Amino acid sequence: MSVRSGPGEASALDLFADKHFRWLIVWPAILVLLLVGLFPVVYSLIVSFQKITRRVTDTSFHGFYNYERLLGDERFWDAVLNTATITIIALPLQLVLGLALARLFLDSFPGRQILIAVVLLPAVIAPFVSGAIWRLMFDNIFGSINEILRLILGDFDLIWLVNSDPVVVFSTILIAEVWQWTPFMFLILLAAWTNVDRSQIEAAEIDGASGWRTFRYIVLPAIRPVIFVALTIRGLDLVRLFDVVWGLTRGGPGNMTETISIYAYIKGFEMFNISLTAAFTFTVIIALSLLMMIVLKRVAITA
Amino acid sequence: MTLPRSLRLQGVAFGLALAATTGVAFAQSAADRAVEAAKQYAGETLNITWEAGLQALDPLNHSGPIWEELTGVKINVVEIPINELFTKTIAEHRAGTGAYDMLNVVPAWMPDMVEAGVLEPLDAYVDKYGYREELQDIAPTYRDNQMTYGDQIYGLPDDGDVFLLYYRTDLFGDEANQAAFQEAYGYDLAPPKTWDEFYDISKFFTDNGGGDLYGSALILSPGLVHYLYEMRLRTAGGRFFDPETMDAQIGSDIAVAVLEDMVRQLDNMPPGAAGWGPIEVLNAWLAGELAMQIWWPPPGRWSAGYGVDTEALSWLPESTIAGNVGYALPPGGHPELAAGFALCVSSNSEKKELAYLFAQWLNSRDFSISRVTLPFALRDPFRTSHFNSEEYKALWPAAGDYLAALQDAAETGLLDLSIIDTFAYEESLTRAVVAALAGQDARTVLDQATEEWNEITEEIGVDDQREAYMVWSSKPGAYPN
Repeated sequence: MSVRSGPGEASALDLFADKHFRWLIVWPAILVLLLVGLFPVVYSLIVSFQKITRRVTDTSFHGFYNYERLLGDERFWDAVLNTATITIIALPLQLVLGLALARLFLDSFPGRQILIAVVLLPAVIAPFVSGAIWRLMFDNIFGSINEILRLILGDFDLIWLVNSDPVVVFSTILIAEVWQWTPFMFLILLAAWTNVDRSQIEAAEIDGASGWRTFRYIVLPAIRPVIFVALTIRGLDLVRLFDVVWGLTRGGPGNMTETISIYAYIKGFEMFNISLTAAFTFTVIIALSLLMMIVLKRVAITA
Repeated sequence: MTLPRSLRLQGVAFGLALAATTGVAFAQSAADRAVEAAKQYAGETLNITWEAGLQALDPLNHSGPIWEELTGVKINVVEIPINELFTKTIAEHRAGTGAYDMLNVVPAWMPDMVEAGVLEPLDAYVDKYGYREELQDIAPTYRDNQMTYGDQIYGLPDDGDVFLLYYRTDLFGDEANQAAFQEAYGYDLAPPKTWDEFYDISKFFTDNGGGDLYGSALILSPGLVHYLYEMRLRTAGGRFFDPETMDAQIGSDIAVAVLEDMVRQLDNMPPGAAGWGPIEVLNAWLAGELAMQIWWPPPGRWSAGYGVDTEALSWLPESTIAGNVGYALPPGGHPELAAGFALCVSSNSEKKELAYLFAQWLNSRDFSISRVTLPFALRDPFRTSHFNSEEYKALWPAAGDYLAALQDAAETGLLDLSIIDTFAYEESLTRAVVAALAGQDARTVLDQATEEWNEITEEIGVDDQREAYMVWSSKPGAYPN
């Protein structure tokens, strides 16, 4: 077939390029995404059905051996429970405090910009550093927390981090986590709240609506999509929580505060149970995908 | 950071002496042979792993520059935190990068490293460069237990790590204390031989310390506490495994009693000491807040004030107890040879021979004495010639006693558990011990650890692990005689 054409006539190549132009310009990006994103996922999936450890590199098919080991590991379920506990408590706390801060900074007042910058400071600290700082602060002898509590309560001495009471140890993680990431929630919610139609709020105020009713029936519906996005981002962050806990407790005492990310790190990078860790990855991906589907469906129904 | 003038002079003087006497005084020395052979590699760079922090100041500021001056070979020190040293070394090997030439390996990891193919056998190099004779000067404990795997040499033992009991001679020697203690407990106040005595003495000083002085503190932080537990378990008559079935024995009655006693000892320690690591113990010790503590060798030097004026040790609190420190074996009389280091060659290296030559030179009788007397670098005496060194004995008034205690400890010391996947067993055991120290029931946590140990053994293969365990347990320092 000839592709030659006369002056003013489009060649077959030109026609092909015109017809598939959008694909031609995106295929390099798709290729890169596949290589960078999909290949490791597929590779991990394959590895999860093999038996690769520090000692053994057995690439034959081992069925669901690693998945059985994972799901039969009590420590894994402890880590799931710990992660869920932290997520379920920290997420609403961050939301409520973020909303409160957003309301506080909604109106203009002298020094507002400077104070916003100060409030945002924790979010720019590396999470591991944050954990390490809180670890020092929670030290029962040298730490400032006990020192402050001693000033307020008098004779006070609590060993925060090496304690058999989970409430005490988890409190330290929750305080550090909420301290660090509430500013993120605040920033997003402040931006959303600032963009709520002022005329509706003013109309409600003229009609005598209370502050709560204005928030409940005007502000909240308007910022709900943003709240959902913020909760999703923070929720996913909490599910893969590692740094703060590692800096604070290293998952201890024992494995009391071990999250699933710490579990994976220890199994994968300290013990080199490569296939088991790959199975873990896929289990988490499947579980999170299912969870997100349920959440999205509920949100869609509510909307 | 810069070396103090005296140490710079020491290093340079040694280097010049080596260079000047090439072919004469050191003609037969292992150090000289290594230097001569390495000169053909002048201009090359060796990448070596070393524990990050004070340890790494040895190759960074002392041995590395001298080696370069002598041979023209540069040393690139890759500092790695101790708790990542094993994993990073293995990970690099698996990736096949050849990033490291010479390795610092904790001897307990040697079976895992050899099995993974990380380490190069060194016998041929040892023979080629005439190092066997000098290996005989390494203290038998380290030479016989931390150098070989199977019949082959994989590392040159390079650090005399061992636990010592440090006690305050001023407090123990005080007549009023002696009388009060005798009256209260019915026996003489002296360095404790048993853990019950340790408890009594610790309680005595804590009760009478008024909150400014505590009887003791120990290293109980995750990642290190297993050393103390392993030592105590074995001196109490416990075993790690049943050699027939390979069932874990860390949930035995003896093991539970040991852990319960470790928890009991917290009664007499400063509040929060259940989470104390080496630095917290050291700080309290140097500040004069403890009557006893168990640590590796360095506090013996620092307590006496040796080298603490160097910049690298500026973070140390000033010793308030110089001249008042005694050295003894920990209760039970069999101290843990906790950790230590061996110099190894990476099988992935493209400069194996050069890496070995550097290791031989570092480890040699002639040069290693300068390294173990560095005040800040944490390498501890490991050769008979170090223990007998008049130069060392002159460093502070009680240095002779210190060296004698170290030698005694080395001779009676217990080896770290060293089998296949040791790290996995230690990780499980550490979680159990830390949980008990935090207040959980000792039997419950040890039962759980026992279950985990059995699962790990099952996963590795009972027969394979039995074989490794038999090799380890047949060594003289595995269990007390």
